[in-house]
Amino acid sequence: MKSLAQFIRGTVQRNWRRVLLGALSLVVFFGAWQTYSWYLNANDIGYKAYFPYPGEVAEAFLDSFVTPDFSGLLMTDHIMASLKRIFLGFTLAFAIALPAGLLIGSYLTAEAVGMPIVEIFRPIPPLAWIPIVLIVLGHLSGPVVIVFLGIFFPVLFNVILGVKRVDPLLLDAAKTLGAKRNHIFFKVILPFTTPYLMTGIKVGLGIGWMCIVAAEMVGQYGGGVGYYIWARTAESNYDYVFAGIAMIAILGILTTGVASQVERRLYRWMGMK
Amino acid sequence: MEKMTSIIAVVVAAAIVLAGTALYVLYDLGDDDGDGNTVYYVVEPPSSMKGTLAAGQIDGYIAWEPFVSDSVVGGVGTVLKWSGEIVPNHPCCVVAVHDPFISDDEGQELAARFLKAHMNATDWINAAMENKASPEYNLLKEIAVDFTMRNESVVEEALDHMTFHYATDDDFTVALENFTEMYLDLGVIGEEKIADGGYENVTDFVDQYVNGSYLEIAQFVEPVDTILNPDSPIRLGFLSGDLHQLAQAVAKSSEVLGNGKSIFENYGLNVDDAIGAPFANGGAVMDAFAGGYVDIGYLGSPPAILKHLNAEVDTTILAQVNIEGSAIVVKTGSGIDNLNGLVGKVVATPGESSIQFLLLKIVLQQEGLSLKIRT
Amino acid sequence: MDGDEVNIQMEGLLKVFRKDDREIVALKDFNLQVDDGELVCLLGPSGCGKTTVLRIVAGLEPKSGGRVSVSGEEVSGAGPNRGVVFQEFALFPWRTVRKNIEFGLEVKGIPPCEKEAVSSRYIDLVNLEGFENVHPQQLSGGMKQRVGIARALANDPAVLLMDEPFGALDAQTRNLMQKELLRIWSATEKTILFVTHSVDEAVFLADRIVVMTARPGKVKEIIPIPIPRPRDRTSPEFISVRGEVLSVLETEFEKTMAQELSGD
Ligand SMILES: Nc1ncnc2c1ncn2[C@@H]1O[C@H](COP(=O)(O)OP(=O)(O)OP(=O)(O)O)[C@@H](O)[C@H]1O
Ligand SMILES: [Mg+2]
Repeated sequence: MKSLAQFIRGTVQRNWRRVLLGALSLVVFFGAWQTYSWYLNANDIGYKAYFPYPGEVAEAFLDSFVTPDFSGLLMTDHIMASLKRIFLGFTLAFAIALPAGLLIGSYLTAEAVGMPIVEIFRPIPPLAWIPIVLIVLGHLSGPVVIVFLGIFFPVLFNVILGVKRVDPLLLDAAKTLGAKRNHIFFKVILPFTTPYLMTGIKVGLGIGWMCIVAAEMVGQYGGGVGYYIWARTAESNYDYVFAGIAMIAILGILTTGVASQVERRLYRWMGMK
Repeated sequence: MEKMTSIIAVVVAAAIVLAGTALYVLYDLGDDDGDGNTVYYVVEPPSSMKGTLAAGQIDGYIAWEPFVSDSVVGGVGTVLKWSGEIVPNHPCCVVAVHDPFISDDEGQELAARFLKAHMNATDWINAAMENKASPEYNLLKEIAVDFTMRNESVVEEALDHMTFHYATDDDFTVALENFTEMYLDLGVIGEEKIADGGYENVTDFVDQYVNGSYLEIAQFVEPVDTILNPDSPIRLGFLSGDLHQLAQAVAKSSEVLGNGKSIFENYGLNVDDAIGAPFANGGAVMDAFAGGYVDIGYLGSPPAILKHLNAEVDTTILAQVNIEGSAIVVKTGSGIDNLNGLVGKVVATPGESSIQFLLLKIVLQQEGLSLKIRT
Repeated sequence: MDGDEVNIQMEGLLKVFRKDDREIVALKDFNLQVDDGELVCLLGPSGCGKTTVLRIVAGLEPKSGGRVSVSGEEVSGAGPNRGVVFQEFALFPWRTVRKNIEFGLEVKGIPPCEKEAVSSRYIDLVNLEGFENVHPQQLSGGMKQRVGIARALANDPAVLLMDEPFGALDAQTRNLMQKELLRIWSATEKTILFVTHSVDEAVFLADRIVVMTARPGKVKEIIPIPIPRPRDRTSPEFISVRGEVLSVLETEFEKTMAQELSGD
């Protein structure tokens, strides 16, 4: 405990400017929010209930973990439902985008075959597929596929970019050291592409969270934080709506945070920091 | 090259199998709790229900017209139960007014005139439906086709199952009290909201929230030659293609009276679609009231109650629009011919705070069945 | 090994690059043979085709005509019997020093314990003990090139091809690395074809200096350096040989200048 306190004190002493400014920015943010809610109430503005006080939101946030909602679910159930979707969408996207990106980046034939399809689908926002996906794939896999689409393209394009940027000098070096094509692929192209892959994953996860909220609002099994927000909006319990929004923010920060940590570890391990 | 391609192929296959397995491991697809009396629900927009029913993603749904007749006429669905069989004369859509609008004499006058037009349009619809050979019935169908963007057979089928009715009678207020009680029981409306709103109890709330006096005054409103509000039109909110709200489409039509004037104009009213109209759902109409973009709106009674109590949107219900007109639909050929057939099956609903959801819950309770979210 | 055996043999070598519709004749009728265990420096004005020669011998660039063989075998494609050391080091940034050196061994499928023994030997040879588990990013330029040399040598190639390997280093380090190379060369007895811009470096290192003409590159003159090693840069002998090489080179530099000014 003492060491933790020392650690915190040390961090604060070293970064006091940043800590101070960060705290200040948060204080200003919550202060502005509080003031706005107060202003709406004081002047009896018609939509005052749509902007509950930060305190009310905090209360609702905590309550959402202990009091079941209309569906009989707790916030933890919704979190699990959303995390499952993100996890599955991510796994699928990763499993398909990585090899596809490596192939398209490596072979002109694969590029010629793959790029037209990719270019057709890329500009379509994943959310545009929601009505169709729900009908064809249903409430179980439908939202997962929406998340998949959100994560797929950033990963794919970053992998392709990575493969195309592979330093030709490294390829020459590998060849003169006796490397055959499969060696070059696994020992040069794949590691070289890893940082690009990680960038794709980070971007993709962010988009994935945006997709999941919308996808869950339109149809799903077992709730989800996106559904939670939608359902509480229909009920007009705006303190709980904001609690759901805060939860999405927290989950988004956590998952991209995990990805950043993995990235940092990976870079350190690969000596590329 | 061959080696590498095959390695990639194996990796892809393995990953897809892995993800697929994960999908089915993580999602417990147990069909029934095993207690033999649970019906599952999912939430989705009514517009996609016909499609998901046809594709077998759901076993049935409950929705309002024309989403019922969509499936029936399309040969996809069969009606298992009309909502009138669940709660006879149950309320559905209402006309609500933004309280600031009726805070002065002028607004009150306009509101009364608006209600007269609403009554007039409703009466005209009912008369037209009496005689299907009449030109009025044809015109009604035309207006309905225009408004809902459905074909004629869907509209005809739907009209057959609808009752347009404006009076705020006892059936109406009792049903609103029941719905409000259900919301209180389910915790959707916090117990404190009734007192916070300044009401003694649920009966007092419904008494105050529904104001039938405008309908009474409206009886004495006469047509006028001039428009009373030429510069500040009444901003009207209504739902997209909701056949229940046909009365406002009829009141806007310049063909109904045969004198080139619409019913609204006949009573001296300048009525405009509000910014954002037609709205996606009743909640959106209430939000537009709160934002100050709508003066008078057609919407479902549950969002009106919920947003009035929970979000303190200052509104008053002035009249009904229609009663009944929703149904539980099951897939044609599924062999489900009674509510027990829905046990272990998935029924789509438009949302937990919709009237359709409450009706489904009520009818299942009557049968001793429970309704649970599909997980 | 017999010191007089021919190791690298180039006859009538021709290289034409095609760039947009233009043809650039980089090498024309280039003839050279390098004996086993010999250290030959290729010297010539910029753009005369030194790198091209090296890349063709390495098998990284196809020739347009003529014959190239190494250890009696016709060159076709890159292979581990010709080690290459690059000016830009070309180390794998995600591999540690040891893993970089082991790359060729890994590819060959050498068992782990043997692999480690070999890499340790070359780490010792280039004096990188203690840096085995460090990534290239943390090394100085001179140390990076030690890794590059060790990595090429670990494959035990017949020849070592070095393209301005010390060109990116500061003068001090450069001189040190030249001495190190001579030490390593005498320890391994490799045949080395060494490309450089620096007359000083060539005179310090080479058994023979091959001066190339301006583009299209061919051999202008081959200058044997009879100075015994270790060579002293300040010795009159060294200075006079350097002057001789410089004067041969001078005319070619002028030609290159003329080429560049004429916009060719
Ligand atoms: N891939 C290529 N495509 C077209 N032209 C090329 C290519 N590689 C080299 N050349 C041309 O061939 C000629 C010889 O190039 P090379 O790189 O071998 O010269 P160099 O002697 O190594 O020059 P430097 O001293 O600058 O390294 C140059 O004129 C160059 O522009
Ligand atoms: Mg060069």
